Amino acid sequence: MTTVFAAGKYLSWGVVSISLTNLLIIVAMVVVFALALVLPFPRDHHDGHSDGTGS
Amino acid sequence: MTDTWTAGVRHRISHLVPEGQALPDRQPAYVASWIYVFGVATLAALIVVVGSGVVLAIGGPVWWHTSGLGHFVNSVHLWSVELFFAVMVIHLWGKFWMAAWRGHRGLTWVTGVIAFVTSIGTAFTGYLSQTDFQSQWISGEAKDGINSIGIGAFFNVLNPSQMLLWHVVLLPLAVGLIAVLHIVLVRRHGVVPPLGDELDHRPSDPREGATR
Amino acid sequence: MTAVQAPGSVQRSGTADSHDYPTRSYDLVREFVIALAIMTALSLLLAAVFSSPDDPPITMASWAKADPADVVATATGELAGTTTSATYGAPYNHASPGQTVLHIPLQRWGGTGLTLSSADLVLQPLQGVSGDSALTTALDQWQSMSPAERTAAATAYADALAKAPGGDPSQVASGSYGPVPQLAASFLQLARSGGLEGALTSSGSFYGGDQTRAMLLLSDGAYLEDRAVAQHLGGDQWGMMNEVGNYPGQPWMWLYTFWYQVKPFSTSENADAQVWALMMALTVGLVIVPWLPGLRSIPRWVPIHRLVWRDHYRGATSSTRSAIESTTRVGR
Repeated sequence: MTTVFAAGKYLSWGVVSISLTNLLIIVAMVVVFALALVLPFPRDHHDGHSDGTGS
Repeated sequence: MTDTWTAGVRHRISHLVPEGQALPDRQPAYVASWIYVFGVATLAALIVVVGSGVVLAIGGPVWWHTSGLGHFVNSVHLWSVELFFAVMVIHLWGKFWMAAWRGHRGLTWVTGVIAFVTSIGTAFTGYLSQTDFQSQWISGEAKDGINSIGIGAFFNVLNPSQMLLWHVVLLPLAVGLIAVLHIVLVRRHGVVPPLGDELDHRPSDPREGATR
Repeated sequence: MTAVQAPGSVQRSGTADSHDYPTRSYDLVREFVIALAIMTALSLLLAAVFSSPDDPPITMASWAKADPADVVATATGELAGTTTSATYGAPYNHASPGQTVLHIPLQRWGGTGLTLSSADLVLQPLQGVSGDSALTTALDQWQSMSPAERTAAATAYADALAKAPGGDPSQVASGSYGPVPQLAASFLQLARSGGLEGALTSSGSFYGGDQTRAMLLLSDGAYLEDRAVAQHLGGDQWGMMNEVGNYPGQPWMWLYTFWYQVKPFSTSENADAQVWALMMALTVGLVIVPWLPGLRSIPRWVPIHRLVWRDHYRGATSSTRSAIESTTRVGR
């Protein structure tokens, strides 16, 4: 028996054609990248800063 | 110090990174952004990829077609690979916009790009090893690209036994080795300081001198 | 390693030393363990929710059942020497000069390390069949024909199949086709029986493992490509990026497959070699970004880094600047 699976959902603009899943992955990556840049990183307020002589 | 080979190797290894910098518990204060987690995320994802791959190897390349557990492990392997590439590319984006090659860190950038490209090759041989319709189509298409540059007889994508061994032995060794080099280089040079802290505003040239 | 400096000058140049900055506590091992836990959890979750595709491979039997006319046409084409594999060139034969890039014949230079005869993709499995006297007669007749006679008979039959409704062998116009119709029909029978892959890959050697001959035969037909194109996996459908169904594909292949969608590559006979060469050049470019003037300065012009280090620029580590200036002023 030959099993044929349905093709996925694709979006096209001109020469560009991309699967919805791939597009979501790429969009998610851009969003995560942007969030990584803007979200505040936890600061360690109890940390005694050492001077600039390296450790 | 004696001039034994052992002493020589010991000296080289112990001077790979500055004292205390192999696993330091302090970082420069400017290392305070979520962008910095994507390198370790890439490493973590790679470990999941290899771990799920090890389980697949235990069952062999056709196990996942007939076993529910095998299919699940195959799914873990697929999704961990997608995560691996996603975080690695975000890591690449971050490192580019930070010009992280500054201060003698050119080789760190180079090993990173080579790790990226080698990973693509590893994923490619993985698709050839799925023993499913995808493997048939991908091998049929890829052979044209590889034959066109004259290496098709040496690297025969239509030969699953060869491709499987490249996928589980040769290429993971290469990726692992390059990743180790990359991480050693990061620890050796430290995390690159912020752009603009240069004092005479030279362009982002890896030759510009750090004092170490 | 100290940078060279003129006598009496102050060395105030280049990237600062990361070890000269104030530090903060940063638990790398804990960070790694957390990252590992998150990546493991995400992988397990995505696997459980979305699973992975498992489209069964096309077997010769399933091909014969789904598109018998294609099997017959392909077998005929192998005998006529007109299929893709028969006219491929290196590494399989010398039938074509192969692709070039910048007039360099890389494909031909690779040599024919995987020599095979496309006609043998049909004849060798048939020669293993016993108990079919009509086939034996047809094979004997084929052996006794000259190469020119063989080509003429097979080509005539191929043309007749193309003209028959649906490529149906039973509706082919009568003509002079020699033993070709019998050979093609017996080949279809062998495919249906499920024995064809084995005959092509492990017959005579017991341990198969190399699917080259079976794959070339399958690729010579239309059915494999038809199935792939239906799943958006074709070369001019950005197929390199795609996966069957709605499963995630290979988004990282976007640039490699992009070139195949646009001229001149989309209409070039040397597209594969050209795209490979272009991607090699771009990859080398990416490797050497740190040394490429202009490209390496883009991060300075586009201030994304100001987000990464905003606390630092705001002076949260203002002791840094004086620390650097004081250490460099002494000409270290």
